Amino acid sequence: MKITIWGDELAGWVASAQLAAFGNDIIKAGSGMLPAQSSIRVEPDLLPQLQSARSAGRLISADERDPFEAEIHWLALAPGEFEEASAILAQLRARHQGPLLVINQSNFGTGASDLLQARLDTTLQQHVICLPDMLQEGSAIQQFAHPQVWLLGCEDEPARQKLSALLRPFSRDIVEIRLMTRREAEFTKFAITGMLALRLGYINELAMLADHIGVDIEVVRDGMGSDRRVGSHYLAPGCGFGGEHFTQYIEGLAGLLSEARGSTLLETVLTENERHKELPFRKLWRHYRCNVQGRRIAVWGLAFKPGVATIDNAPSLRTVNALLAQGAIVQLHDPEAIEEFRTQFGEHPQLVYCDDQYAAIEGADALILLTAWPQYWSPDYNLLHQRMHEPVIIDGRNVFEPQLLRDLGFVYYGVGR
Amino acid sequence: MSTELCWKRLRKEADTLKPRHLSELLADPQRFDRLSVRHDGLLLDFSRQRLTTETLEQLIDLAEAAELRPAIEALLDGAPVNLTEQRAALHTALRAPEGTKLKLDGKDVIAGVQQTLQAMERLVAQLHRGQWRGYAGEAIDTVVNIGVGGSDLGPLMACQALEEFTPDSARGIDLHFVSSMDGSQLSGLLSWLNPATTLFVISSKSFTTIDTLANAATARQWLVDASGLDAEVINAHHFIGITANPTKASQWGIPTSNQLLFWDWTGGRYSLWSGIGLPIALAIGMSGFRQLLAGAHSMDRHFREAPFTGNLPVLLALVGIWNINLLDIHAHAILPYDGRLARLPAYLEQLEMESNGKSVRIDGSDCSERTCPVLWGEIGPNAQHAFYQLLHQGTEQVMCDFIVPARRYVGQSQPLQEQHRLALANCLAQARVLALGDKALSEEQTRDAPPWKRYRGNQPSTAILLDELTPYSLGSLIALYEHKVYVQSVIWGINPFDQWGVELGKKMATELLEALEGDADPARFDCATRGLLERINRLGKAAEPRKG
Repeated sequence: MKITIWGDELAGWVASAQLAAFGNDIIKAGSGMLPAQSSIRVEPDLLPQLQSARSAGRLISADERDPFEAEIHWLALAPGEFEEASAILAQLRARHQGPLLVINQSNFGTGASDLLQARLDTTLQQHVICLPDMLQEGSAIQQFAHPQVWLLGCEDEPARQKLSALLRPFSRDIVEIRLMTRREAEFTKFAITGMLALRLGYINELAMLADHIGVDIEVVRDGMGSDRRVGSHYLAPGCGFGGEHFTQYIEGLAGLLSEARGSTLLETVLTENERHKELPFRKLWRHYRCNVQGRRIAVWGLAFKPGVATIDNAPSLRTVNALLAQGAIVQLHDPEAIEEFRTQFGEHPQLVYCDDQYAAIEGADALILLTAWPQYWSPDYNLLHQRMHEPVIIDGRNVFEPQLLRDLGFVYYGVGR
Repeated sequence: MSTELCWKRLRKEADTLKPRHLSELLADPQRFDRLSVRHDGLLLDFSRQRLTTETLEQLIDLAEAAELRPAIEALLDGAPVNLTEQRAALHTALRAPEGTKLKLDGKDVIAGVQQTLQAMERLVAQLHRGQWRGYAGEAIDTVVNIGVGGSDLGPLMACQALEEFTPDSARGIDLHFVSSMDGSQLSGLLSWLNPATTLFVISSKSFTTIDTLANAATARQWLVDASGLDAEVINAHHFIGITANPTKASQWGIPTSNQLLFWDWTGGRYSLWSGIGLPIALAIGMSGFRQLLAGAHSMDRHFREAPFTGNLPVLLALVGIWNINLLDIHAHAILPYDGRLARLPAYLEQLEMESNGKSVRIDGSDCSERTCPVLWGEIGPNAQHAFYQLLHQGTEQVMCDFIVPARRYVGQSQPLQEQHRLALANCLAQARVLALGDKALSEEQTRDAPPWKRYRGNQPSTAILLDELTPYSLGSLIALYEHKVYVQSVIWGINPFDQWGVELGKKMATELLEALEGDADPARFDCATRGLLERINRLGKAAEPRKG
């Protein structure tokens, strides 16, 4: 079948690779023919599959073929791109007098798929199906190929059959299909995201408490994960979650809850998360008895998570702002996000941008680690010790082994340990 | 013309006007146009005062004879108008625009004022950006102003009046005010505030005010206990001092970087325009605070430049003189018909009564005329259910100021707009009934009314109509009253800028504190004091926990 896939979200790339591998002709409409974000590029098996689809001629760009001519369209746009989606559907409606199938995997929020459906004409068999994106980074291809369950927001039986045919190669060992309305499917996705935020909020709250009562949250978390009712996903304590989409999404849900229900549950999670982003700063502040004026502080990791070059809502923003306001000199390193950081903060007398992580710790009174990039996990401790002015390490992601660092003569602060 | 002659003519005028009822005077359809004056969004209507345009002319003659014109120049130019303390009273310099020139003892006053404004701006920005950090590294989100008198009433009044002008940047900061010496306000707050995110602003001109220092000491101990850190660290991150006495503030422990300074030429009750206004700037932002200053400055210029016949503060003062000294009215009610101005009466109580509650002239002689009346007030509609009965049917003559904005809730919900119309209607109705009494009704309506349902009327009032309540118009309104107070002090020949009357009590309290602590011989006090001391000390001992 001929399918156009819109958008640069992970879900779109995975669908392109997998659908092409099973003989479909894919027109990829987006910014390029390979993902630009390193977090997507590192997705296991993704790049080779995309490349082989490309060389087999099953994956072509929107420049090579008119993307609107296909009758099946897959939307994997970013949460902020609803207007674009709406425009695509308007175009499709204008071009097609016959059947259309639109599979929406974008996180636009509850009700968006209904709005998209309103752009089409059901009497012409033009339908929107909502298939919420449940892929987890790191195992996305595997999950697409062997799903355990599908949440399907579909209100038209022939359309569902068409989608089933399309997904047949992946549904051989499927356990369940949960059929629901588009709105319910979107709300379920919403609910899951909120649940994950609650888990993160909860573990971070516990980590703060662990600090006070002198237990290691990593040990506690391990124990919690061993209970099958709890599981171990989304229980890594750290200095707060960031990212544009996740935060936007939770904000949307929190707003909805507080408006419709007067509930502050998720708002609290968001507020506490903002406070949590300053946890490393607060540890430093206490360490230096409320005065960091003129101190050199190294910051490793500016991106909101490893594998991305973006700093949207990243803990680094709040940390660096706080350090600047208190008169510290901040020496920054990030393998990918340094340029975006420089664009936002510009040249500043208190900021030193470093290409090398060890240049950042030169003469430092403390090292603050904010993003768990792989290259930070096992640094050259001797070099750290030699180059730092004071051997103080504030580990915002709990990547180091506290006892080892203390044995090596570092003052170590983690999150909840 | 001498002042004696002016008073004589005015007394004659009063004799002719006293028997005339306001209803008679208000029959003149031109009266409102003749007796109302305007400046910059502020309208003063004197048509419900028991006087005529001729009376006003005679009062202006009195002002001229009392050399008011040069006295205004002296005030604004920084002459030592506070004679008993040999210094200027330059609150007007606090709101002069940047670039204005004014020298005092060879020093550029305005430059110093601008420096303080800049320091204030820096503190406000740091707090609004969430970058003032407490001992735990968290952003300060609560500011408690500790001060009393002028260091409390002005900021509290203005913050409450201008709450709706809070910009988004200021929404992260909660403000509280603590003044009472006995700690009752403070102890209530400390039971639920978070010490890690609370900053105290200690406002004291002298930095020796015992009320304020007692509260400040309690606050500091609370922080030291909560943080486990020493006072030095706490002082640096949880205290700002606003004072004219930096030496004392430093001795107390406020680092210089956390001090906002003003000058001995700023009287406490005239100080909300100085660093003392920090809570106002925190509430409405620096640009809002500058609007407040601009509104006051506009009134300062009007005060200096406008002819007396159209000079709002001068006329407001002279009408007061007429009521007090010629119609013999010694009670003055302040009645804002706007809940936002709830604290205005308390503010004006201090401004007027602490300034002009004097009975000795500048030359040391006794005043021959009555001076400041007893002043009190309440939100008008609430007072209608409290003390208006006395205004309408009591035996006391009372002059009233009705203060109300014409526009409010523009663009907001219909019911709210209706509520404002309701307040306006009540304001107009009460002023009308107080003036006209029964005559507000038709002859038939009142003819058969029993005596207890009759209204005498003839209570004089001034209506102060603001186009709307904004930082700018509030600045003008406060400056209007400040200058009114000064004009009256010039007519009476008294010094409005000292307050020696409050000193003796402070001194006596020190002695009695010793007596309560058992360190002084009660025999040296009068028998009333002795009797109470004995009873208090006995009860105190009985309440002590038994030892052993």
